[in-house]
Amino acid sequence: MGEILGRVVATERRPNTPHQFNFWTALDAQVGIGTIVRVDGKIPVAGRLPKVYGVVVEGLSYSDLETPLHDVLGADGEPGRADDAPTRRTEIRLYTAAVLRHIPDDPLQPVPLGAVYLASEADVQVALRMDAYLKPGASTGIPIGLYRAGATSSPIYLDADFLLGPEAAHLNITGVSGLATKTSAVEWLLSSIFAHFPAQKGSVAALCFNVKGPDLCFLDQPATRLDASDLELYAKLGVPAEPFKHVEYFAPYTARGYALNTLRSNESLSHNVRPLTWGLREVLQYAEVLLNKDDVDAKADALIDFIRERVVDQDFHDDRLATSHRVQSFTDLERWFRDVLRAMEEKNQEVWRTHHVATIRKVRNRLTNISTRCRGLVTDDGTVSDLPWGVFQDRGVYVVDVANLEEDAQDLIFARVVTQLRERLEKRTLGVDHVVVFVDELNKYAPADGPDTYVRKMLLDVAERGRYLGLVLFAAQQFRSQVHRRVVGNSGTALFGRMDSDELATPGYATLPPTTRTKLSTLDKGELMVRHPHFTQPVFVRFPRPAVLSGREGVERYPQADEPTLEGAVVRALRPLDRSITLDWVKETIALADEDEVLRARNRTLQVRPDDVQAYFRSQLKRRVATESVGARTRPAIRTSPGDDPYAF
Amino acid sequence: MSATDDGRGGGVPIRDARRILAAHGGSPAAPGGESLERQARPSSVPRLDGAPLLEGHQIEARDLMGAPVAAFGAFLDGIQRSVVIGYLDITIPVVHGTTAAAIRERDDRTLHTWSDGPIVERSLFLPAALAGTSTMSALAASGIPVHDTLPAADPVALRHPAELLGLARQAVQARREQAEERLAGAWCASARTPLYVDGGIGGFAAASRSPLAVGVVKSHHTLYVDADAVATVASLRPGQRTSAFVVATRRRTRVASWYLRLRDTGAPLGGLVRVEVAEAGFDSARADQISGWVLAEREPVALPDSRWDVMAYGIRDCEEYLRAVAG
Ligand SMILES: Nc1ncnc2c1ncn2[C@@H]1O[C@H](COP(=O)(O)OP(=O)(O)OP(=O)(O)O)[C@@H](O)[C@H]1O
Ligand SMILES: [Mg+2]
Repeated sequence: MGEILGRVVATERRPNTPHQFNFWTALDAQVGIGTIVRVDGKIPVAGRLPKVYGVVVEGLSYSDLETPLHDVLGADGEPGRADDAPTRRTEIRLYTAAVLRHIPDDPLQPVPLGAVYLASEADVQVALRMDAYLKPGASTGIPIGLYRAGATSSPIYLDADFLLGPEAAHLNITGVSGLATKTSAVEWLLSSIFAHFPAQKGSVAALCFNVKGPDLCFLDQPATRLDASDLELYAKLGVPAEPFKHVEYFAPYTARGYALNTLRSNESLSHNVRPLTWGLREVLQYAEVLLNKDDVDAKADALIDFIRERVVDQDFHDDRLATSHRVQSFTDLERWFRDVLRAMEEKNQEVWRTHHVATIRKVRNRLTNISTRCRGLVTDDGTVSDLPWGVFQDRGVYVVDVANLEEDAQDLIFARVVTQLRERLEKRTLGVDHVVVFVDELNKYAPADGPDTYVRKMLLDVAERGRYLGLVLFAAQQFRSQVHRRVVGNSGTALFGRMDSDELATPGYATLPPTTRTKLSTLDKGELMVRHPHFTQPVFVRFPRPAVLSGREGVERYPQADEPTLEGAVVRALRPLDRSITLDWVKETIALADEDEVLRARNRTLQVRPDDVQAYFRSQLKRRVATESVGARTRPAIRTSPGDDPYAF
Repeated sequence: MSATDDGRGGGVPIRDARRILAAHGGSPAAPGGESLERQARPSSVPRLDGAPLLEGHQIEARDLMGAPVAAFGAFLDGIQRSVVIGYLDITIPVVHGTTAAAIRERDDRTLHTWSDGPIVERSLFLPAALAGTSTMSALAASGIPVHDTLPAADPVALRHPAELLGLARQAVQARREQAEERLAGAWCASARTPLYVDGGIGGFAAASRSPLAVGVVKSHHTLYVDADAVATVASLRPGQRTSAFVVATRRRTRVASWYLRLRDTGAPLGGLVRVEVAEAGFDSARADQISGWVLAEREPVALPDSRWDVMAYGIRDCEEYLRAVAG
């Protein structure tokens, strides 16, 4: 039962209602904003003594003074004198609590007068309706953190059915940079999900887009610093304090093509880093992602459809063309375009197969542009190195590093990866039943204002329909108000770390009591406010530091490999396939080949993963096809990082 | 000390008393009437009453030695409230009286109720001889505490309704004073620190002789000085006291007393209190010391009470507390 903490008071001027009540406490009571309390009524209703659970949302303190002036007069205007008085003034602590739950809840009545107790662990479960989903043997609880007040410390669970579908889904986390621990909270929650996702719900994997510096680059490495208090939290919440066991990294090449474009480039970590490269077919499927911005009209669309359906990956004949074509790469496509345009010029035709020459020129420009703008991701030669579609592993984490990519390349990756996830979950051919997609900096990808981009439409679609498929969006951003309403609105669960007061002044937070807003603007690192469909009021919890190496420490401990030479790049790529490959062997082997050819041979080898790596690689070099290279390539500048990014290079 | 259930005190609440009265043939008065304490009392003329001096040959203003020191360990006060709830035989008023008294002890600068709580009583007050024995015994049988308002020696002929009301009010006051006296006596018998009493202590039996009880009188209907000393009292500066004198009235213990100016309000008697202590053991040094104790209680100021200029915060606290528990 515990000690009485306070007493409900109600006056005509300050009455209690079914959803709010007031109580007073001793001056030293262990209670504050966010504390969960229980009221025991004294008069039975329908034969039962009512119990009411509430969370403190407001606190008042005042004395018996009528005006501050009296205090000034009493102390003769000297503030120090007030403390000399032999008696302390009477002072009151008066709290307002928002009701979490009534038992019984029917008929719904105003909160009765009664004694107020600090909620025990069992009370917290009832108050937050967690009792409904923590049934032994059928629990769907996922620990999110520990609620603490006075002597009570109670794990708070989210309901997997409402976090990962099908009842509700998605999670959104907001808060200021550096203090809100957004990225950390998501890392922690993924560990918690992996430890607690109920077996009867099947398998689950996570796909994380690393959008910022080295943030998610070391998820498989142990944290350097976990305090005793962190370990206690892990123990109390039943989550092993370990890094993720199965993590795979994917990154496109840099524009130059030698090394992968990721801060996880240290050779001792390269065993699970793979290139992400796509060819023409992969890109054409998502051409509209990049083209819609350039105002591509119906005519251009028709031509792209034609290319997709009639040209790519098949033999293409046309009497007017110089040769027959089999288009499998951007290089092939470029050759095809030139052939078409030349034929039209020769015959002085404006139209070819209903497509106007201007449209053909435009589409050719746009498409070849893609391969330039997305250098490193899109290969001219059609080599594909992709995520392990179909063989995603239960509890696997797949990190796609897009941190240093051009916006276009990022968009293309988002669009294709998420669409693949969607389609494969729908057909149940992904390898797992549920995927959590983590998108940091959501305001960039699903902004409240701005053009209706393909990526935003896609995120909206996931937010609105993903829960039926097991496709779950975990998103983070500094300013929730800058994210599209329907994306955050469809998030069943919302977390809030330390908040900026300007953000709190935006209309989205108007429903929060002022003191809760104040508390949000002063939260410590590791503290979160949680909104979840089962909780009628937000709850405050503490979570431990993630058990993985942070990005900042990771780049110190695993310094980046230098930008390799061409030979070095080949060694680095092929070594994981064949440990006997040496720099000298590579130098000798590629001595006569040009750069493009070497890179293509490397890519093909990586794709095919042959038994005899050396022989295969050599064979790729020898197979000298007389291809013209696609014009004079202008290499796009490497994306420059913002000035405040300490990991810019 | 009376047992208090739930801090609300014993006796019968007004609502129940009305019902009981009606059941015994009384005609209830409309509820919500003003208490007798709030109605104007028959005024007596303020007066001067020169008293024999304990120090020197004439009333003088005296400066205190040393700085004020907080020495009181507790504060004692009582409240009362009398309401006419009806009449018997149309002319005999039946009064419901609530009395309450408490000592608030000070511990680490914080006040709390001493011992087993306040004394709270709720009873009926009526002239027994006029009401008749059968009514009196019937009321007593219904469990309601009843007190006679007629002084034992007085003839039955007193009939002016206003006079009966005055007697009832006095009877209620007597109950309150008894409660205060019980508490003061208990404190002086068991405690070690001085007790600040609201009002005089001459009416107490044991406590008026105890070195622990200090009475502080806030109203000066009677000024215990001769006409030529009034100016001396009126012009005391804050922190000054007068020479001490003896206050001796019928049915009260003789006590040593003096005037003390707590603060300057501009009015002749503003901020002025009269201190009462046991006559035995009195000397000038003790008067100075006790004055210092009383002065130390000027803070915190008892605002917003209208008598803040002469009221100690501990006494205000006592009153607020009693109002809360006795209503
Ligand atoms: N549970 C925790 N307790 C205490 N400190 C923590 C906790 N989790 C993370 N931190 C610390 O808080 C800091 C910020 O964490 P994190 O990078 O997750 O914040 P963020 O909100 O994602 O910031 P940004 O907006 O810049 O991405 C880190 O230094 C981390 O060590
Ligand atoms: Mg972050």
